[in-house]
Amino acid sequence: MTHVIDVQHLQKLFHQEVALRDVSFSIKKGEIFGFLGPSGSGKTTTIKILTAQLTKNKGQAYVFGKDAKEMSKSSNRARFGILTDNSGLYLRLSVEENLSLYSKLYNLPNSSVKEALEFVNLYDVRKKKVSQLSKGMIQRVTLARSIMHKPELLFLDEPTSALDPVNTQHIYNGLRKLNEMGTTIFLTTHDMSEAETLCDRIAFLHKGKIRAIGSPQQLKKQFGDDTITVELIDGSEHCIENCKDEAKKVYDWMRSGLISRIYTNEPTLGDIFLQVTGSDLI
Amino acid sequence: MNFSRIQAIFIKDYKEFSRNYAVSIMVLLPLIMAFIYNKTGVNNIQAYFLPINLAFTSVTAFVQCCLIAEEKERNTLRSLMLSPATLFDILLGKSLLVFSISAVTVLLSIFLVGYNPGNWLILGIALFLSIVFYTGLGTLGALFTKTILEASVVILPIILLFSFGPFLTVLAENIPVLKVAEWLPSTQIILLAESLEVSYTLSDVLIPIMTILIWTIIIWLSTIFLYKKRMVD
Ligand SMILES: Nc1ncnc2c1ncn2[C@@H]1O[C@H](COP(=O)(O)OP(=O)(O)O)[C@@H](O)[C@H]1O
Ligand SMILES: [Mg+2]
Repeated sequence: MTHVIDVQHLQKLFHQEVALRDVSFSIKKGEIFGFLGPSGSGKTTTIKILTAQLTKNKGQAYVFGKDAKEMSKSSNRARFGILTDNSGLYLRLSVEENLSLYSKLYNLPNSSVKEALEFVNLYDVRKKKVSQLSKGMIQRVTLARSIMHKPELLFLDEPTSALDPVNTQHIYNGLRKLNEMGTTIFLTTHDMSEAETLCDRIAFLHKGKIRAIGSPQQLKKQFGDDTITVELIDGSEHCIENCKDEAKKVYDWMRSGLISRIYTNEPTLGDIFLQVTGSDLI
Repeated sequence: MNFSRIQAIFIKDYKEFSRNYAVSIMVLLPLIMAFIYNKTGVNNIQAYFLPINLAFTSVTAFVQCCLIAEEKERNTLRSLMLSPATLFDILLGKSLLVFSISAVTVLLSIFLVGYNPGNWLILGIALFLSIVFYTGLGTLGALFTKTILEASVVILPIILLFSFGPFLTVLAENIPVLKVAEWLPSTQIILLAESLEVSYTLSDVLIPIMTILIWTIIIWLSTIFLYKKRMVD
């Protein structure tokens, strides 16, 4: 089994209202996979089904080759970690006390608390009560808690929403390190640049359906119009097809020393999203 | 079931409880009442059991309800459920602290009010079962609600009913419906204590204990059922 997650024709209704219409995708071991979609598109619902917090209506959902329902078992829970926007911490306890509870729940050695806190760069504030921390710090403590058992699979539901750039960068670095150590990551976001910087592959989710899927490069190629723009020294811009017939133009400009800049016209992920869904992200 | 997980949850709860004065102060309520009662010189079982039943409701049920409601409101309960801790690890770990605090409070209340039970062993069994029952009651109340505020509103009438249920039996002569109050665990434990003061028969002991036991089983089965439902949205 090389797929850590395999989802086929997943459907979820909330009282007749469709949250997931027909979702199919799979995630290979070691991948960072991004679910990109505006709020209400069904990202959290998908994660909840995969972690046995919700039951599906139709389709198949497999995690570690097992029916996602089995993720409610203790032994399977030890294999994944999860960070959601409302993962709770105990406000009256210190950072260290919060993690120490989980190190025991996961049956980890005492050193795991220190390791996890160093991972998110928070070892210095370990004695502080959670209620005294900033939002960004709380998010990092929660991340530390969700990765302290070095899970094979990590679910991240909008991990950097409402974080400042510095904290976001901290989290990105941590996630890359974790991924290099072998953790498969399933991440949801409505931030295109986040998807682009972190993910090996992304899927666009819109109104409960996947509209496009692939690596950022693939998607850009697929949805790009294959033109290049040549900017001349007189300031004029020329959009030309990237093909043999246009080669002579470029050749002549270049020989006459008229070119100041040449670039390909890649669409941004946001452009592609707009193109495939007809609506803006967010 | 895993002992070190249960212990970890217990220790966590103890730390939280000891820093949560709004809730931990409730422990004083039955103790103060027991102390005052003792000073006024009461010496009947009905009066002795007022602080004891108050300990069951305002400490056991209420504190348990607040602690679990807070875990629900802050989403820490969901996080626990997503860890390898099982249903029994969590429910036992989360009940152990309130159970211990209640046991101490009840014993102190008995001592302060000046009550010396006719048979410590039999009454001890009934007290033990009652604490288990009221812990379940508090848990159930919290699982029904979404926030601490909601939970404390819901648990209040329950507290009143169970604390003062025994008084309803007095009114039962005029209002026959109130006769059901006789079967409340808070009434049954008083009936048991009263028999223990005189020469009692086996059924005098078994009926109250079985009644409390049945209440306990029903409340915990409902709690487990609701807990399982709460694990999925
Ligand atoms: N528990 C629920 N009950 C009813 N509707 C829900 C529930 N959870 C989510 N939904 C609906 O399902 C859709 C998808 O929600 P969600 O998965 O949370 O989206 P996202 O995480 O992408 O913002 C939304 O329309 C939302 O209103
Ligand atoms: Mg969401």
